[in-house]
Amino acid sequence: MAHIEICNVKKKFKKTIAIDDISLDIKDNEFFVLFGPAGAGKTTTLNIIAGIAFPDQGYVKIDGKIVNLLEPAKRNVSMVFENYALYPHLTVYDNIASPMRSPTFKKDEAYIKQEIERVTAILGISKLLDRLPKQLSNGQKQRVALGRCLVRKPNVFLMDEPLAHLDAKLRHFMRAELKEMQSNFNTTTIYVTHDYMEALSLGDRIGILNNGKIEQIGVGDDIFYRPANEFIAKMMGEPEINILEIELVQEAAKFGLRIFNMDKVFELPRDVEAAFRRKVPNDVDMGIRANDIEISISKKSDEYIHGTVYSIEPIGNKSVLIIAVNDIQIRTIVPNDFSAELDSDIYMKINYKNAIYFDRNTKAFIFRHENEDLSEKVI
Amino acid sequence: MKAQYSRGVLGVSRSLLLAIYSLFALFPLIWMIIISFKSDAEMFTTTFIFHPTLSNYYSVLVGTDYLKRFLDNLIVSVGAVIVSVIVGVPGAYALARYNFKGRESLAFTILSFKFAPEILVILPLFMIYQKLHLYDTYLGLIWVYQLITLPLLIWVLRGYFEDISLEIEQAAQLEGYGWFHVFQKILLPLIMPGLVSAGLLAFIFAWNSFTFSLLLSGFKIQTVTVASLRYVASDTVHYGYMAVAAAIATLPEIILALLIQKHLVRGLSFGAVKG
Amino acid sequence: MTESKDEQSGESSKNSSSKYMKIPIEVKARPYLILAPSLIVTIGILYPFVLAIIYSLTNYSFRSQTYHFIGLQNWVDMFSKREFWHAALVTSEYALASTGSELILGLGIALLLNRDSWYTRVLRVLLIFPLMVAPVIAVLIWQLMTNNAVGILEKLLNLFGLFNFPWASSAKTALFTAVVIDFWVYCPFVIILARAGLQSLPKSPFEAAKIDGGSAWFTFKTITLPMLKPILYIAVIFRLMASLQEFTIIYGLTKGGPGNTLMNLSITAYNTGFAFMRFGKSLPYILFLWLLIYIISQRLVKNWLAVQKAASGY
Repeated sequence: MAHIEICNVKKKFKKTIAIDDISLDIKDNEFFVLFGPAGAGKTTTLNIIAGIAFPDQGYVKIDGKIVNLLEPAKRNVSMVFENYALYPHLTVYDNIASPMRSPTFKKDEAYIKQEIERVTAILGISKLLDRLPKQLSNGQKQRVALGRCLVRKPNVFLMDEPLAHLDAKLRHFMRAELKEMQSNFNTTTIYVTHDYMEALSLGDRIGILNNGKIEQIGVGDDIFYRPANEFIAKMMGEPEINILEIELVQEAAKFGLRIFNMDKVFELPRDVEAAFRRKVPNDVDMGIRANDIEISISKKSDEYIHGTVYSIEPIGNKSVLIIAVNDIQIRTIVPNDFSAELDSDIYMKINYKNAIYFDRNTKAFIFRHENEDLSEKVI
Repeated sequence: MKAQYSRGVLGVSRSLLLAIYSLFALFPLIWMIIISFKSDAEMFTTTFIFHPTLSNYYSVLVGTDYLKRFLDNLIVSVGAVIVSVIVGVPGAYALARYNFKGRESLAFTILSFKFAPEILVILPLFMIYQKLHLYDTYLGLIWVYQLITLPLLIWVLRGYFEDISLEIEQAAQLEGYGWFHVFQKILLPLIMPGLVSAGLLAFIFAWNSFTFSLLLSGFKIQTVTVASLRYVASDTVHYGYMAVAAAIATLPEIILALLIQKHLVRGLSFGAVKG
Repeated sequence: MTESKDEQSGESSKNSSSKYMKIPIEVKARPYLILAPSLIVTIGILYPFVLAIIYSLTNYSFRSQTYHFIGLQNWVDMFSKREFWHAALVTSEYALASTGSELILGLGIALLLNRDSWYTRVLRVLLIFPLMVAPVIAVLIWQLMTNNAVGILEKLLNLFGLFNFPWASSAKTALFTAVVIDFWVYCPFVIILARAGLQSLPKSPFEAAKIDGGSAWFTFKTITLPMLKPILYIAVIFRLMASLQEFTIIYGLTKGGPGNTLMNLSITAYNTGFAFMRFGKSLPYILFLWLLIYIISQRLVKNWLAVQKAASGY
C-alpha cells in the first residue's frame, strides 16, 4: 500500500525517446491501468517504477520519498512480467517461494508453506507445485507468475500485460478472476495492457500512454465517453468508432451540420450547438459509435441517410454491418438475424446526441452532448 | 522384392563401410596397448600371440620421470581451465548482456585466438618469457594455454547466457536478491551444463597441447606430449616404452571421453548448431 | 547489472536535486569490472602479436644482442626465396588434402551412423577416441603401426606383396602419411558436428519427400545437404584454419623432412627462428600465414552467415 508518483520523467534509449515527460499520481490502494499500443513506453514506465531502469530526468516517489536510484530490492515492489520470467530450474513451489527466501524479505519455511498454499488455492494451481516451468501451459505459467507476485506484501504490484499470451477464452476468465481478486488486494496496483476491455473493466483509473506521452488520465467512463482525442476514441470500443468529417453551417443564427456532402442540414443537440456558437471551431470531425446508428431498409424519415451494403461480418452474438456512403465506410451493429444483399440499398440514422466532436486539425476533443443518465449506454 | 533385395545389399555394404572405418579408427589404439605389453624379446617375433608383461610399464613409470611429466601436464591443464573459467564466465556474461562499442570485435578477437598459428605467438613470447622469468614455469604455460582454453569457454558460455532472458535476472532483483545471489542461485545453475561441456573440452585441448610446452618450457616442466617424443628420438628405439608413453598419455582422456561423452559432443557441437 | 551500459548516459538536469540523477559508483563501475578480466587477458595475448610484427621489421637474431630496424627487408627476402613458395605449396597441399578428406568421409560416416541400432550407438561413443588423442601421440601410435620392423601395417602390406613401404621416410609418401594421421585424429570432429547437424534437422521436409517418392540420393542432395551446409561450413572453417598452420604432426613425424618435403610455413618459421636463430627473418613466414588465415576466416565467417540464412529459409 503506497502512494506512487512519477514526476516529469524522461528516458531515452540511445537516440529514441522512450518516455517524454510523463507524470502520474497513483493513489494508495488504487488499481491503476496504464494503457497504450505497443511501443508506447508502458513497460519502460513500469521498469522505472520498479527500479530496473533509471530515468534520465524526473523523479519516482514512493510514499513521498524520492527513490530514483534506489535498488529494486530495496523498493519493495512486486512484478509480474509479460513473459512470466519463471526460474526454469526451480519447481513451481520454489518459484513462488523465491521472494520469501531472499535476504531482504526472508521468512521461515513454515510461513512460506502456509502462504503458498493460500495463494495457489486462490489461483487454482495447488496441484502443480512439483512441476517445472517447462511442463506448464501458458495459462498455468501465468498463474504461477501471479502467485509469485502475490505472496509478497509490497508497496505496489506491477503487472506487465500478464494476460497477453493467453487464448481469448482463458483471457476472459482470468480477467474476471483478477477483478475478483483485485477487491481483496488492498495494495496499490499498476497494470499495463493494450487490451481496452481489460483496461475498462479492471481499472479504477486509466492512464493512456502513446509515443511516450500521457494523452489522458481518467476513470473508464471518462475515457470512453470523453476521449481526449481521436486516437483514444479509436482505441476503445469494438467495432472501432467512426470518425467522419462534417461541415458546420449556419442557418438562421443557429449551427447545424452537414455530412457526406449532402444538402441536408442536421440539427445539433442544444448544448453542443451553444458550445460551437461560443467558440467557432475551424474544422470538425464527428465520432460516432456503431451502436449509435440506427439501420433501416427503407427511408423512414428525412433523418435517414442512404448508403449501400458493403459487408456483413458476424462477430459472435452480433454482426458488424459496414455501409458505404460515397466511398466512406461506416461501421454499424446489427443483430445476427439481419441479412441483406451486398450493394443493396440501406438507410442509417445517426444519433447525434451521442456523437463526440473533435477538432479535425489537432484531433483533440471539443465537446459532446452531456446525458443526464449515462448508464443508459451500452458498451 | 527388388526393394527388399537392394535394401539388403545396401544394409550390408553400409555395415561393411562402418566396420572398415571403425577398424581404421580404433585398431591403432588397440595395437598401442598390445605393444605396450610386449617384452623386448618378443617384440620382433610375435604379432598377436605373446606373453604379456608389465616390464615396460615398470621401466617407464618407475625408471624415468615420465610420471612427473604426467603430473606437470595435469597441473598446467587444470590450471589453465580454472583460469579460463574465472576469466571466461564474467567475460561471456559481459559479451552477452552489455551492448558496448566494439563488442563484436572483442568477441571475434577472442575467437580468433583459437585460429592463430601457435608459432606466431611463441616466437615473441619466447623472449618475453625469458625477460619476465616465466620461461619453464607453470604460470607461464597456464597463461599461454589461455589461447586454447579461453575462446572455447567464452564462445559456449556466451550462448548459454544469451539464452537466459534478462527478465529472470530482473525478477530475482525485485525479489530482494543482490547480484551475487542472482549469479549463484540463478545464473550458475542455468549455465552449468555448458560450463561442464566446455570445461571438459578445454581440458582435453590443453592436455593435448604440444607446441607451447615444447618451446616455452624445457627442463623443469614438460608435458607428456613433449616427453613422449624422447622415446622416438633416442638411438635405440624402445618400442615397448614408446607404446607405454603413448598409453599413459592417452589414458585419462579415454576415460574422460567414456564417462562424459554426452557433454563432449554437446560442447563441440553446441556453438555450431546454435550459431 | 540489468542496466545496459549505454543507458547510463545521465543527462544533467537543470533540477537542483540532480544528485538523484547520479547513479551510485558501484553500479556504474560494475559492467567494467565484469569485463575487466577478459580484456586484460585479451590485451596480454595481443601483445606478443604486436611484438611479432615489430620484430619482423628488424634483424633480430639470437646471435647478437643488438638489433636494428631494417624495415621490410625481411619480408622482401622471404618472398624472393624459393623456400617460401615451397612452404606455401606444402601448406596448402596439406590443408586441402586433410580438410577435404575429413569433410567428405566424415559426412559419409555420420550418415552411416544415422541409423539407430545397438552397434551404431556403441560406435558413436567409441569413434570419438581418436579425437581425444594428442596429435603428437597419434604420430607415435602410427609409427608403431607402420614401423617396418614391428608395425602391424607392414605385416598387412606384406600380404599384398608390398615390402618396406617407406611411409614417412620417402619424399613421395611423406605427405600422404602426414595426411593420414591428421585424418585419423580429426575425422571424428567432422563426424560429431555432422551428426549434431543431422539430428537437428526438422522432420517435415523428409516426410514430405517420402510422400513425393524421391530416391535416397535425391533426398540427400536436395534436402539434407543444403540444410547441413551451415554446420559443415563450421567444420570446414575449423579444420582448414587448423591444418593450414599444423606444426605438431609434422614436427613429430619428420620435423619437416625428408629433406624439405613437409616444410610448411609453420615449420619453416620455427626452423628459421629457433634452429637458425634468425629471429627477425622467421617472423614474416608466420605473419604471412596468420594474415592468410585471418583473411580466409573472415571471408568464410561472412559466407557462413549467408549460408545459415539460406538454409533456414526452408
